[in-house]
Amino acid sequence: MAKQTKSNTIVHPRYGCAIGAAYTVAAIPGGVPIANCGPGCVDKQYYGLSGSNGFQGSGVASGGDMPSVNFGENEVVFGGAKKLDGLIKSSLKIVKGDLFVILTGCSGELIGDNVESVVKTYKQQGYNIVFADTAGFKGNNLRGHEIVVKAIIDQFVGDYKGRRRKKLINLWTEIPYFNTFWRGDLAELKRVLEGAGFEVNVFFGPQSKGISEWKSIPRASFNLVVSPWVGVSIAKHLEKKYGQPYLHIPVLPIGEEATSAFLRRVVEFAGISPEIAEKFIAREAHEYYYYLEHFADFFAEYWFGLPSKFAAVGDSAYNIALTKFLADQVGLIPVRQIITDDPPEKFRESISALYHDLTEGVEIDPEYIEDGYLVEQALYDTDFGTGVPLILGSSWEKDVAAERKGLLLEVGTPATEEVVINRSYIGYRGALTLLEKIYTSTVGGK
Amino acid sequence: MARNIQLDLETVENREMRLGSIISWDGSASELVELSRYEERALRHKGCPGAGKNGEGCRLCELNMPFNQQSMCANSIAACQAGNLRDCVLIQHSPVGCTARNPEFNLAFRNGLERRGIKPRNINIMTTNLLENDMVFGASEKLKKAAREAYERYNPKAIFFSMSCSTAIIGEDLSSIAAEMEDELGIPVAPMHCEGFRSKHWSTGFDIAQHAVLRHIVNKHPKKQPDLINIVALWGTDYFTEMLKPLGLRVNYIMDIASFDELAQTSEAACTSAFCHTLGSYFATALEQEYGVPQIRAPQPYGFAGTDAWLRAIAKQVGKETEAEAFIASEHERVKPKIDALRAKLKGVSGFVLTGSSYAHGLISVLRDLGITVDGSVVFHHDPVYDGGYEEQNTLKTLVEEYGDIPHFTVSKTQPFQLPALLKRVKADFIIIRHNGLAPNAARMGIPSFAIGDEHFPVGYDGMIRVGEAVIEVLARKKMNQVLQRHVSLPYSDWWLSQKDPFILAKHPEVLDEAEEVQD
Repeated sequence: MAKQTKSNTIVHPRYGCAIGAAYTVAAIPGGVPIANCGPGCVDKQYYGLSGSNGFQGSGVASGGDMPSVNFGENEVVFGGAKKLDGLIKSSLKIVKGDLFVILTGCSGELIGDNVESVVKTYKQQGYNIVFADTAGFKGNNLRGHEIVVKAIIDQFVGDYKGRRRKKLINLWTEIPYFNTFWRGDLAELKRVLEGAGFEVNVFFGPQSKGISEWKSIPRASFNLVVSPWVGVSIAKHLEKKYGQPYLHIPVLPIGEEATSAFLRRVVEFAGISPEIAEKFIAREAHEYYYYLEHFADFFAEYWFGLPSKFAAVGDSAYNIALTKFLADQVGLIPVRQIITDDPPEKFRESISALYHDLTEGVEIDPEYIEDGYLVEQALYDTDFGTGVPLILGSSWEKDVAAERKGLLLEVGTPATEEVVINRSYIGYRGALTLLEKIYTSTVGGK
Repeated sequence: MARNIQLDLETVENREMRLGSIISWDGSASELVELSRYEERALRHKGCPGAGKNGEGCRLCELNMPFNQQSMCANSIAACQAGNLRDCVLIQHSPVGCTARNPEFNLAFRNGLERRGIKPRNINIMTTNLLENDMVFGASEKLKKAAREAYERYNPKAIFFSMSCSTAIIGEDLSSIAAEMEDELGIPVAPMHCEGFRSKHWSTGFDIAQHAVLRHIVNKHPKKQPDLINIVALWGTDYFTEMLKPLGLRVNYIMDIASFDELAQTSEAACTSAFCHTLGSYFATALEQEYGVPQIRAPQPYGFAGTDAWLRAIAKQVGKETEAEAFIASEHERVKPKIDALRAKLKGVSGFVLTGSSYAHGLISVLRDLGITVDGSVVFHHDPVYDGGYEEQNTLKTLVEEYGDIPHFTVSKTQPFQLPALLKRVKADFIIIRHNGLAPNAARMGIPSFAIGDEHFPVGYDGMIRVGEAVIEVLARKKMNQVLQRHVSLPYSDWWLSQKDPFILAKHPEVLDEAEEVQD
């Protein structure tokens, strides 16, 4: 069983709180988050999830543009409903958007404002408006993400009794903004699934059609969850609500073998003809191995040392995906895998089991630690052997990586030494980018 | 000057009460100078000018609007102050989300260490990571455990506690726990009552952090160091030494990047000044009142006039008038040709300044010394008086008197939705900005931004040269902004973008009822 390490506090945080899900809303084309909280709450989330995480920016009505009640003493004493009402009324008139989502933080929840009754008036007027309870004390932004998605499904998507479209799938995977490479990764997943013959609702980012896509959720033949735990409760919710089945694939596919296997599994589950998928896989494999073969020259005969042992520190989705790829496809040896996103207890056994099935002859017990102090202590104590240590982590590992004279690749928040636009580390193409990044740093680049 | 600073109290009074600070106003700079009634306010307790028996005339009128955008809070500020010390630890008594900006403060801290020639390393700010149960049953034990954990792990010279919205609402007794832990651990434990909803402006957070340092860390039995000058600063490069060394002074920067000892010795200094009165006035006034450390009676060291006056005031304080005059004369001679060359290159250029209150006053002087036109500015709040209350520190008045009026002078707390209307009223080839969230919209409007991360950049004579050269580089980036302008749009409705008055919602809230249309 995996070692679990708890402390009383968190230093060097690796996630925001539930109201960080404002960035789940912001990632929907046409989505407008309205923050019902103190003046600094969503500013902090901006930095934790976007600004200090690959400098992803905000784009629409988020970042500095996000409407916010900015609770003051007056609202704490007399209630914030009136101010919220004025904010919603003006937001609908001032901010461009298709779907407005009110996210209530600690103050509003603790004083017990009745947000539902404020929102109801606007809903009755025909606005697409939803509210969600996302007080920071409810948990981290990963849980907030699930709360908000379910709120949108229940309050906006609504009931459906019609037919399903066999080729259409709903994809629930990385968390927008929180997962540093979500945009590139979503694009790659959509690309390969479409290549295999599917139509894909991705819900977030530039590949999404926005609220029409959300409205079409019940029309999909099934829900595809590609993450160790985030999204499973959404799929179960949809199963209950619409009788839609779901397929849960816990590991994001990286590399040709994993991605092709992933596509075959989805095709099989969907029960569609594998012909298109196989043609696509053959094309992708041809291209992938063309590049890998050239890279292999460097890999085989570089004189000046390559990393062998690696640690991965980060959220469970990226941690297992990277660990699996490097162990199974590159032959790097995992020596310290630390999961930092606080997965619910009920998922931990199945997550740990994945690390015991990495590749033939290689297994490791992952550790579940959210406190950065303990994370760093663990890395100080790790035996990386004789080679240069490779740490896949966040900016917080900079000091320990320097101390251990290791290579640090920032793959999760905070990432303040990466500028991320549309890079992906998954699928066919992302795998090659990941190799480029790791080995560029090996040969002395950034 | 009335004795305003009350260090015997647990916490400092909010700026809006203490100084009459405002966050929403629009007019000309000269009007604001007049309405602020700095001198009258300075004479009375609580920054209240000519207040009648019922307090009338006490407040500057504000433009309150139903629409607000996210901004920043006192809790954030307290974290970026008390959390950025070299050998102390801050514990945020809060859910984890209150610490989500810490990676950015870490970036500032690491850069700050590097600028001051110290090896960069991570900040250590802890959170008690409170959850729903803690809201129901209270979390005092968690805070005590956290203090012990901080002590064992980091061996800090002092520990700070910070209050969050949730812990304030459930009534956590930060002060009692701090006193208890101070006894147990034998080091100062300083509570900061900086819950985010507390003050309408985040800058109260500076005062709260400084209040905690003054009460818990500053040496109560100072041994004078006559060559030491306190400079209240943030993370900026050490440009002050090159200006103050000729006067025989060593600089003690407060409070980011400082060590416990550097904070403690502030009561031993010969005098105190700041890169910005908004930031430094509370600390400087408290040291003056409690320990007789005089504060410098001058505007800020920006532009020729400001820098000259500032150096002269310091020289007078430490008896180095002759040295100062020689230095001023040689510096003028040294920089003048370079500034003349920059003025020639910058002829016809217009700039727009958006920063924290009195810092903007300094930046505008620098731009105008460089021959750049500044017809508009946004300050994120306005203090009609500073704690010091000295006439020579009335920075807005000095600006208007030395450099002329600013026709469009706006007080607004980082509200990007106003930017389109604000930038339509004046010509702006570039903006100067601190604080996030505004520059991205200027960028979409085709206007490049000069983001001043190093707040000391414009200080002194060389500061003018640095700014002039940087502006020329920034203007070149307009290419990128023009691309954006051609292809992306602002996140606001056409109706809003057609408005000419950025404060129309405050003056005529009924416009919101015009022709409602349901969006779908």
